[in-house]
Formats: sequence, structure tokens, C-alpha cells
Amino acid sequence: MTDEKPSEAEKPEDKKPEAAKPAEAAKPEAAKPADAAKPDAAKPADAAKPDAAKPAAPAAAAAPKPAAKAPEPVIPATAGKFEQFLKEHGIPCERLPLSLTIETIALSGDVLQAALRLLRNSSEVKLDLLLTVSGVESNDTFDSVYHLWSYSNLDELVIKVLVKKSDVPEGDLPAVPSIANFWAAANWHERETYDLMGIRYANHPYMRRILNPWDWEGYPLRRDYKQLVDSLNDKNPHSMR
Amino acid sequence: MATEIQEIDLKTDEMIINMGPQHPATHGVLRLLLTLDGETVKHTEPVLGHLHRGQEWQGQNRTWFQYQALIDRVDYLSGMFTSWAMARACEEIDGTVVPPRAEYLRVMLSEMNRITSHLLWLGTYLIDLGAMFGFPFYPFREREKLFDLFEEIAGQRMMFNYIRIGGVVRDPKPEWLDKLKRFLDEFPDRIDEYETIVTQNPIFLKRTKDVGILTQAVAKDYGVTGPCIRSSGIPLDLRRTKPYSVYPELKFDVITFDKEGDTWDRYMARILEMRQSIEIIRQCIDKLPSGDIMGKKQMAGMRIKAGEGFSAVESPRGILGCYVISGGGEKALRFRWRNPSFCNLAILPELLKGCPLSDIMAIFGSIDVILPDVDR
Repeated sequence: MTDEKPSEAEKPEDKKPEAAKPAEAAKPEAAKPADAAKPDAAKPADAAKPDAAKPAAPAAAAAPKPAAKAPEPVIPATAGKFEQFLKEHGIPCERLPLSLTIETIALSGDVLQAALRLLRNSSEVKLDLLLTVSGVESNDTFDSVYHLWSYSNLDELVIKVLVKKSDVPEGDLPAVPSIANFWAAANWHERETYDLMGIRYANHPYMRRILNPWDWEGYPLRRDYKQLVDSLNDKNPHSMR
Repeated sequence: MATEIQEIDLKTDEMIINMGPQHPATHGVLRLLLTLDGETVKHTEPVLGHLHRGQEWQGQNRTWFQYQALIDRVDYLSGMFTSWAMARACEEIDGTVVPPRAEYLRVMLSEMNRITSHLLWLGTYLIDLGAMFGFPFYPFREREKLFDLFEEIAGQRMMFNYIRIGGVVRDPKPEWLDKLKRFLDEFPDRIDEYETIVTQNPIFLKRTKDVGILTQAVAKDYGVTGPCIRSSGIPLDLRRTKPYSVYPELKFDVITFDKEGDTWDRYMARILEMRQSIEIIRQCIDKLPSGDIMGKKQMAGMRIKAGEGFSAVESPRGILGCYVISGGGEKALRFRWRNPSFCNLAILPELLKGCPLSDIMAIFGSIDVILPDVDR
């Protein structure tokens, strides 16, 4: 498996659906050996963490760190904390087995606003630091990924909003609700994701390109992106380069 | 006969002024579209992207080994931190165990890099404020000494490519450590020297005190990190609040002020951080364990297991995050950088609102933005 997989994953720009599938299928399996390796491999890092919490700022000291004590369960005891929390409040979500250390949950775009309002403002969970908004293109979805941290404790959460490519109308962009009403920080991150990955954020205050010129065509980080003008060998008579 | 005084309502139109991208004080090529009412700034729109090099795209189209050498250019003043963020994200996916000696060397070299970054900031900031009397070259004098040390250990003065996935690439010689110790012994005196000239300088105080006050609410709203938020009284320092590497074993405190910071506080936070870095490097030299420095074989066809990883390090400018998705191949499926400059720059319109034109550079310089880091 390890021999063939890299060759497939090497060329994500190849639009062969078969080429991409094995890599996809391999993900849960590949995650398992990592699981098994985790207790011994991650010991030094984990062991360092409880010590770390002590000299930390007083606000951070309260956070529980059960992962280091019990090497037996692979998923840390705090696992699914946010998933549970959201489900208790009637918001459908699903935990993705992508990362061992950080909880990753998938949400649908319709409930993103409600979920973030809860996660940001409730007294139990205070995920009030938005680190970044990223756009990811996988084989059959466009993902808008939110990394949330907290100012007052060590919690962290990754939220993914997956938009199926088959659901996106021809010639249109995948749409996800903007969260710029919660964090001004999201404004530029969402503009960048729109610019490079072509995900449109609905209700965004200023949905324009930010890094590329406003008249740029295409979304450079997409797999099917072709640059219209070859900047090294420019044959375009209208080009100013 | 009393003269009749006629009141004339002199209306002034708002004026739109273009600042940059070639402005000498914009630290690269930032363009600001300023809407002015007389001398007062009404609205600012930063126009980014003049230095956009597609770093994220390159991450997906270069092998891990190639990209390692490239990312020092994301933030050319603190290359150690970008390398470190990428290395940590990949190690998290791969489960690589980094040898303790390598971790100590990473901390040591990164703190040295933090000092060089702050020194350059100090010099250029004083130029921004109009201190053209030669002071800017004082910090550069010490920066050169550190760069000589970097050159000796990494082979490069600014684009180190020293921290690699799995460890670091070269072991310092004992003489190198002696040289570093000698530098650390003399450097506090040099900081005193800068402070004598700058800290209580009446002109400097007039330009910076109560200028560009960053409130905690605004800072949290915009996700500001680094010395900017710490000088506004929020103790967010990843080295302490979410410790990584060997920082838990080192003794130091988060530098914060108990009020909402102005431009002068941001200056002071960086001066104190340089002093703090000296102490951290000293502790690292004392504790430096012997042993291996590399936990993963470095080769052109290096592979990382399939999975996702996010790592963050406390760079001189704030939280530098790296989000990596690996498909198990020679290249990444997605590389995403969370650059502190990009996020910190977003507060500029907020800070400039209502301030006079002459304060723009004092405020902009104080948030310490590096344009290649903004545009990537």
C-alpha cells in the first residue's frame, strides 16, 4: 500500500478519479498505524504538557490534560467534547478521524452560524480566538476549514464545512456563510480563500480578491487551474509584461 | 458702527491619497488608500498582494524536501520560525520524535532569530519616525554579529534552512557556543545603549505616547497576536500558554502590561522580549543535552504519512500557524499558512481612524509587519 499510494497522491492535479480514490481510502487505515504508534511515539511530547500547564498563565492552568495519564485509549478523553456539546444543543455534526490531537468536526453550512454563536459565547466553551480560515479542495468536496482556539484555556477545535462538488451548479462557486459578523479577523481570511480557492462566502461585507489583482481570472489553488498567461514565456500581445 | 461678521461655512472635501506601494516606510510594498479630511484619516484601505509569490501553491507543487528550503522566504526576517512551524506540523502527522538536543538547538536558534528580527524592527522603526541621525545602524551592528553566528552554523545569514523535518541539520561546535556566550554577555549593555537614546527621548515620547491605542476588544476581534496583543494586556504567548518544544523546562514569564497598549508600549514589549530571549538562550546553553540531532532521514524523496496537522509557533510577530494536509506522497496536498503579519495588518484601518496623517507611520511601524509575510 505504501508503495503505490505516494505515486497516486503525487499528482493531485491529475483529474483521474481512480487515481485519487486510493489515497482517500487509505486515509482511515493510515491513521490507524499512527494511532498505534502514538502512545510510545508521543510520550515525550505528552509528558511535557502537564508540566507545561503549571508555569503557564493562570488562566490556562485550569484546562484538563488527561491524554498523558492513560496511554490505553488512543483517542484522548476530551475527544468529542465539542461534538457532544453541539449535539446537546441540537446542532447536527460529525467527528472526522483526521487528526489525533485536535478534534475535527464536520458541519453543514446551514448550521455554521448557530454553531459558532454557541461555541464562541457560551459559558462552558469559549472558543473565542479565530486563528485562520482555509480553503481546501479534496477529491469530491470543497472544504472551508476554521481553526478555533481559546484565549482562556487550551481548547482547540477544527470545523470543516464540506460542500460537495456535485452540489455546486455549473459555472458557479461553492457557497458557505460568512462568519465575519463574529470575528473581524475572518474578513481577510475569507477574502483570501475566495481569491485563491474560489469559495464564495455569503453575506461577506466585501467579497473581493485580496492577493491577486481584481481582474484575475481563475482560482490559483484549484486543481484544475490553468494560468492563462505564461509569465516566463509570454506570447500574449495584450500583456503589459 | 459695528462691523458685521459674516460666518462662512468653509467646507473641505474629503481627499483620497495613495500611499505606497513604493513608500520607503511601508517595509516592502504595501499600498494604502487613505481617505483624508484635512489632516485626519477617515478611512484606510490596505491593498495587498504586490509580493504575492504563491507560497501555498509552491508547497503543493514541490516535494517536502524542496519546500523546506523555500519557506524561509515566507518571512525573511524570521526564517527559523517558518521552518519550525512546518517541521512541527509534519512531525505531528508523521509521529517523528525529535531528539532533545535538536529541540534545544531549535529554541536557541529561534530566540537568536527573534533578537535579529526585533533589532531590525528597532532600526527601521526609528527611521520611520524620522530619526535619521545614524541610530538605525546601532541595532544593525549587533544584528551582524548574530548573523555571523548563523552563517557559521547554518551556512546562510538569513535563509537558514536549518530546522528540518525531524530535527536540525548541523551541530554547533564548542567554539561556536563560546562565541554565542560572549555575544550574550555584551548584548545587554548594547540594549541599555539603545534605551539611553530612545526610551525616554522627548521626541520619541511625543511621537509614540498615547498614539494608536489598541484596545483589548479590537485586538481580540481581529485575532491580533504577538507583542501587539501582549502590550495591550492579554497574556497570549504560546511559549507559555500553549507550550511546545522544551519551553516548559525553561524559566521565563510572559511580558504583558496591565493597560491597553499604545505605540510606546509595543516598543517596550519588544525591548523586554530581547532581554528575555537572552535569558532563554543562556538557559539553553546550560541545559543543552548531548546526543543525536536528527530524527528523520533527510533525502530528496522524503515522505510524510497521510493525515492532517496544524502547528503554531510564537514568532516575533505573533502566532505563526502551519496547516498541512498530506496524502502520504512526496508532496503535500495542501499547505496553508496563518501568518501573523497578515492578521495583524488587518487592524491598521481600525487604529488609523481619526489619527493625523503624521501618525500613520508611527502606528504602522509599531505593529511590525513584514510584507512578504503578508502576501506570501
